[in-house]
Amino acid sequence: MEVLTMKITMDSVRAIRGEWSLSARGTFSEGVHLISGNIGSGKSTLALLLSGLFSSFSGSIDMEGVTSVMVSFQFPESHITGLTLEEECTSWGLDPFTVLSSVKLYGKKELNPLKLSRGELKRLNLACVLGGQYDLLILDEPFSSLDVQEKERVCHDLSLRKKGITIIITHEQTLFPRVDHLWEIQNCELRYLGGMPEALGAWRHAPGIIKNLMAAGRTPCNISPEDLLEAACRT
Amino acid sequence: MQDVRLRIGAAIVLSLAAFLSITGAFLVFIWWLVFTKRLQILKQFRLMVPLIVLMAFFSAIVELTGGGGLSYFFRMLVIVLIGMWVYQEQQSKEFLELAVWMFGDGAGFELGLLAEMGMQSLNLLVADFDRIRIAEKLKGIFWGVGSIVPTGLILVHGALSRADAAADILAVRGYHNGGTLCPEFRTTGTDIIGSLAAAGIFIITFLPVSEFFILYR
Repeated sequence: MEVLTMKITMDSVRAIRGEWSLSARGTFSEGVHLISGNIGSGKSTLALLLSGLFSSFSGSIDMEGVTSVMVSFQFPESHITGLTLEEECTSWGLDPFTVLSSVKLYGKKELNPLKLSRGELKRLNLACVLGGQYDLLILDEPFSSLDVQEKERVCHDLSLRKKGITIIITHEQTLFPRVDHLWEIQNCELRYLGGMPEALGAWRHAPGIIKNLMAAGRTPCNISPEDLLEAACRT
Repeated sequence: MQDVRLRIGAAIVLSLAAFLSITGAFLVFIWWLVFTKRLQILKQFRLMVPLIVLMAFFSAIVELTGGGGLSYFFRMLVIVLIGMWVYQEQQSKEFLELAVWMFGDGAGFELGLLAEMGMQSLNLLVADFDRIRIAEKLKGIFWGVGSIVPTGLILVHGALSRADAAADILAVRGYHNGGTLCPEFRTTGTDIIGSLAAAGIFIITFLPVSEFFILYR
């Protein structure tokens, strides 16, 4: 049986929002892609564009082998369609007990999702998003509103995703999962920096710790906390 | 129409004219064709759909039970078009300026603030509705009758939460009642012509047709 390779090819894409525009070209292959950029650089627009929810653009976006797409928006309220946490889980086609227990919210299953704190809601939303199987998974600022423990848990859950294309769009500077490819938005343009660890040298938005390790000649193999620790302790 | 005073005045008289007779509704429709940015209004057509469906339902009942349903539907449709025109032309702060101009810094300011918050809430409801539709699309939920109640409840809950937050913010910032504002209005030639035409339609609607032909008797 032939196995289809998944990839997304952007050819001279230009997303337009009034006076502002974002240019993008390149190919997203299977694996985990990290896109970093400053606040207001067009990261959320890119998330909408890649998920097919933004139509004001020129150029072409070709998807090969991608049959299911999911995008997790920065604000978890954007996903709510259920009146209770239980209904919200069901609306994702997931078992409420499994999902709510995993994020320690089962005791609040009858509560209106909008009554949760932003952090709790983000936790629930990510559990629902990561609970499904999608060929293309786009996570727009998945770490916002989360504490360190939850960020670590999300990184762990992301590492369990072995198939498909995962695109993480963030300005996070502390915790990352292990990624395969690095991209950056700079001056209204999406640039592909390369695979790991070669791309690290060109990464302008790299967190201070990575820049310091590179300056000391200790290039980490990847950007997860374990990789950074290994590089820092390398003798 | 840039002057909110003339726009609201025209909208009131045109709505009355359209409601009172089919002739009035027809004349108001012509006024709408001449004096509004029709294409921009029709781009917001999806906002009108629920109202049109509701009107069609009641018009069908009226038509089946005693007749006159078609006339009712047309008259109400024209009123909705006028309402959409007011909504589309509305600019931030206009209702506040209008209310202060009409009723002063006390009650006027309160009423204007209420109207501004109402309009803001309406815009946010539209944004919320779009958001829910996208979320449902992503989850693979088919939009149907079953979605209406939960969507409505989410919208109402969101609106109430925002109203709560707005009240808290006003209280925290020390708002008690009333305020001062110097309203500014800009009246153009088109505003005056449009208003005069609206007033003309209103008068014609109230006068029997025979009055126009009195000279010919």
